[in-house]
Amino acid sequence: MSELIIALSVMFVTAGALLLVANHFGFSPIPFYIIAGLITGASGFVDQPDLIELAQWGIAFLVFVFGIQVDFNDIQSVFRDAEVAAFTQLLIVGSIATVVGYGFAVFFGAEYPLRNAIYFAAAATLSSTIVGAGVLEREIRSNLVHGRLASSIHFFDDMVAIGVILVISAETLSDPQLITSNIGYGVLFLLAGLLLYRHGFPLLVRAADGFEELILMGSISILIAFIAAAEAVGISIVIGAFAAGIAIRSDGAQALGVRNGIESIRDFFVAIFFITVGALVQIPTFEALVLAASLLALVLFVSPLVHTLAFLYEGYDTRTAFLASSSLNQVSELSLVIAIQAWLLQTISDGLFDAIILAAAATMILSVVAKRYEDLVYHTIVERLFRGRQTRYVDEHSRVEEEIDGHVVVVGYGRQGRLLVNRLEKLEVPYVVVENDPVLYDELQLDCKNYVFGDAMASYPLERARVADAELVVSTVDHMPLSTHLLEFETDADVILRAESSRDATQLLDSGAAFVNVPNVLASDQLLDNVEQVIENEDATTALKNEHLEVLGNLERYGFASRFERT
Amino acid sequence: MDQIALAADFAIIIVVATMIGLIARRLGQPTIVAYIATGVVLGPVLFDIVTDEGLVDVMAELGLGFLLFLLGMKMRFDDIREILTPITNIAIGQTVLQTALAFLVAWALGFQTTEILVIALATVFGATPIIVKVLTDKDEITSLPGKIDVGVLIVQDIYLVVVLALFAADSLDNAGEIASTLAVIFVMMGFIGLFSILSSRYLLPRIFRRIADNKDIFLIVAIAWAFLFIAIAEGFNLSVEVGAFLAGISLAQLPYSKELEDRITPITDFFILVFFASIGLQIEGAASLFAYWQEAVIASVILMIGNFWIMFYLIDREGFSVETSFLGSINMVQVSEFSLVVGALAITQGYIGADVLGYLTLMALMTMTVSTYIIAYNHAIYERLAPWFSRFESDEKVDRNLRTYKNHAVAIGYDEVTERALPLLEERYGEVVVVDRKTSHIAELEENGRYEYVFGDFRHSEVRKAAGLKNAKFVLSSSVQTDVNEALLDEVGDDAIVFAEAERIHDARSLYRNGATYVIMNTYLTASKLSDYLEQYFTDREAFEEIISQDIERIRRRGRSRAESERTGVDIEFDPRKLGGDD
Repeated sequence: MSELIIALSVMFVTAGALLLVANHFGFSPIPFYIIAGLITGASGFVDQPDLIELAQWGIAFLVFVFGIQVDFNDIQSVFRDAEVAAFTQLLIVGSIATVVGYGFAVFFGAEYPLRNAIYFAAAATLSSTIVGAGVLEREIRSNLVHGRLASSIHFFDDMVAIGVILVISAETLSDPQLITSNIGYGVLFLLAGLLLYRHGFPLLVRAADGFEELILMGSISILIAFIAAAEAVGISIVIGAFAAGIAIRSDGAQALGVRNGIESIRDFFVAIFFITVGALVQIPTFEALVLAASLLALVLFVSPLVHTLAFLYEGYDTRTAFLASSSLNQVSELSLVIAIQAWLLQTISDGLFDAIILAAAATMILSVVAKRYEDLVYHTIVERLFRGRQTRYVDEHSRVEEEIDGHVVVVGYGRQGRLLVNRLEKLEVPYVVVENDPVLYDELQLDCKNYVFGDAMASYPLERARVADAELVVSTVDHMPLSTHLLEFETDADVILRAESSRDATQLLDSGAAFVNVPNVLASDQLLDNVEQVIENEDATTALKNEHLEVLGNLERYGFASRFERT
Repeated sequence: MDQIALAADFAIIIVVATMIGLIARRLGQPTIVAYIATGVVLGPVLFDIVTDEGLVDVMAELGLGFLLFLLGMKMRFDDIREILTPITNIAIGQTVLQTALAFLVAWALGFQTTEILVIALATVFGATPIIVKVLTDKDEITSLPGKIDVGVLIVQDIYLVVVLALFAADSLDNAGEIASTLAVIFVMMGFIGLFSILSSRYLLPRIFRRIADNKDIFLIVAIAWAFLFIAIAEGFNLSVEVGAFLAGISLAQLPYSKELEDRITPITDFFILVFFASIGLQIEGAASLFAYWQEAVIASVILMIGNFWIMFYLIDREGFSVETSFLGSINMVQVSEFSLVVGALAITQGYIGADVLGYLTLMALMTMTVSTYIIAYNHAIYERLAPWFSRFESDEKVDRNLRTYKNHAVAIGYDEVTERALPLLEERYGEVVVVDRKTSHIAELEENGRYEYVFGDFRHSEVRKAAGLKNAKFVLSSSVQTDVNEALLDEVGDDAIVFAEAERIHDARSLYRNGATYVIMNTYLTASKLSDYLEQYFTDREAFEEIISQDIERIRRRGRSRAESERTGVDIEFDPRKLGGDD
């Protein structure tokens, strides 16, 4: 058995043991891979050039899958939600970090100060999609505004990272011609990817007769071809892998299996990549520690602060702005890719390389820890700082009748909220809608008699909606902290909440909710009826289907489809 | 720019193998043949571009390791308990008889004494990678003949490990030394096997119950488990395959193994391609390959036919039906890839020369290639020959039944929606299989004991297969993932009733177009119901109280159940960018 298999065994067994720890505390696996690398690296098992090659496959697959998942509508959503914040942060934090990084590079006598400054800045500025999406899983799923914002920014950062890699793979940064030619190649690769997506990939599916294994191998062959082309013209393999990802279709019947397959292979190699990266770290020098500390300061404090201010400027409420930015406080996995590319080119100083990897591992863990205290930090610090501004902003953007009384407060103006408001208008019961999504602001203005534009988690918007005088509060948002917050608010009004599971619902009922809307429970009656109907009489199916399609048609006609469908 | 070239040997192998594979697919040939041909084309025989050293060698070894790991994962003791004794009898008989046959053939062809000994020991019939791969592709690996073959192959692998260890020993002269070497090997294997069984009973259920909810960690910890065994096997001087196989077996006994199978399969496919290509690469050149070509052809023909009859006799003797005996035997008519390994080892020990290895290689290549077609068309061949073989039939011979689902109901996700529908479905369809990706839900189903269950994400084909989706009469999906539901609709039978869930109207329409019977849209169902409640709140407060009290009772009952007792997490994998129902 070869040495390499022994090295892999040591790496995976160490990582496996550490992952059990990560899972127990709910951390992202990535920092634990890096730690596994630090341990195995110190033990001296993992010192082989072949491993670096396997790790490169990790990079290729990481970016490849990112390319496959890219949906160009996402770019649109960045521009809809977060363009100011994204660019402001990039400019401000990016420039601060470049200056700081350059200073350090000169001070520590790095061979290529400008390059080191860029590597440093990339690590300080960009945030991690994998960790961020893990931390915000529930928020993104229930489509809370801050979850959506954060994932837009993550996406933006990933695209920026690809761009940075494209530029730094030029041999000299002082030669504008070389950089432009690199960018030109990048564009060409993208176009080739798109062309293949249109014409090449369907051809492959047809040639393989829909046989999953061959489509999978074909997809990997496309990856290899693009990587080889990238190496041939002298740009980073990352660009090749990304463009190859663009070429792969992720829709259609076979796509599910093929995507599963590629993701499994990616997970295997990516683990090797992160562990190898960790194993490359030496015993930290003074230089590495100073650089790591300043990276931590930039990533954990400066960058979230700039993000918060930029979000506020864009019209988000304080809480959303704070929560969105506080989930952007970690070093991106693509910054590690940048670092290792630089390490292969031998243009990064050892200290900076170690610092970036250590800072990445640290921030990825801290980010998860910080998440647990963010509400505390928000209430004790942030809310106080911005209170005056916040009430002014809410007042300017809300419309509530002066003497409204005995009304219904509807929290959330999504599909459920809209249908409820519609019914209340028919019943001529007065209501106030509370919503904080800027995307829905125009509709609030047009459709609702009374509305408060602010976050229901903060107290002022609820005061403004006169919850104390309301007869009923109905929340359409299934987010436990919000539900508990509404129950704690002082009012005689009955409170109807929403929860995803019966367990949460039971808890809310026990704490005084009049009723909890658990969609699965409410829907089950109707569903049971339908199942019974179909089982007893199989001919009933067509009628059932047509009836339902008609209902759906009506919903659409009256504007109750989801926001993305209506635009 | 001096990056480490990814366009290395092994990248070339993958690209060329894909191209040859696509051509082979068009011609209706199995992919394995294409992969071996890739090795021949790229290796010393034709273009000599690629060598099987360095990373290629490692990847080939990993491929074999993963294949055996995967194979182990399919071995659930509960499934093979009934056929365990016959398998053991067959395997032992087969090993003895076919070694004897190989010995006779080699002797008759006039090889020298040592050579005859090596050839007899090295010519083992039944190549695990080929049989497993082709049968898996044909979805027959868990059929009765498939299980018999795999069982025999495993016993054979143990035998091969012994042979390998013997060849690796410094001398074969001393009977006492051979005996002690053998004893050490058996003790070691017993030790690892015991560790594997004990951990699958006591350690693994605990570990995996905690981590199975997290997809990525689940996969990597499982791989780490395989590597742990590989490392232990290495520590005892056993092969990678033995370790990986035992690791797989210990995982197979957990209720979570189905999804894992589907996640390991692509990694295996990726590496095993390199393995098959490396078989082709090992051929050093036409000269030594064809040195004994006449002998190889004669031996191949005699051994293929002889071994078929040996297997047929042995399986038939255990009282299986003629068809099972036929299929189980005809799948096994190729020389094992181990004969190349044994041969290579024998060369380095100086027992044989390059020409004898060429003879072994040619025989392996010929029988492997031919048998791939035989396995691929095994049913067609049987149909042709069935009239003649019917003379072996008798009334006592019946196959042990392996359980399969048919005309049953499948529920995806165990939540409030499906839970209430299950009794109804059970009453109508008799058998209900619930698929869920949360360990706590599975634990409740296990405790409850009323319904069958499969742990795993429905997006994995292995999981869909385990639930018997193709034969289901009724499918109730509470997953809102459009791609999962579309894959489901693609796979079910034409007359199956499918209830699926969707988040958006657009998705609901597309599900209807793909043949869904009814699309559940919780958001709207709930919204209209809630609006009704609201109306009652303002018009008839008593009716409101009445109606919500029923719902509340239901919520409380469900809230107390064990399935809800743990933190509610996301029970299906999701892509954050693809979501966003704005409600």
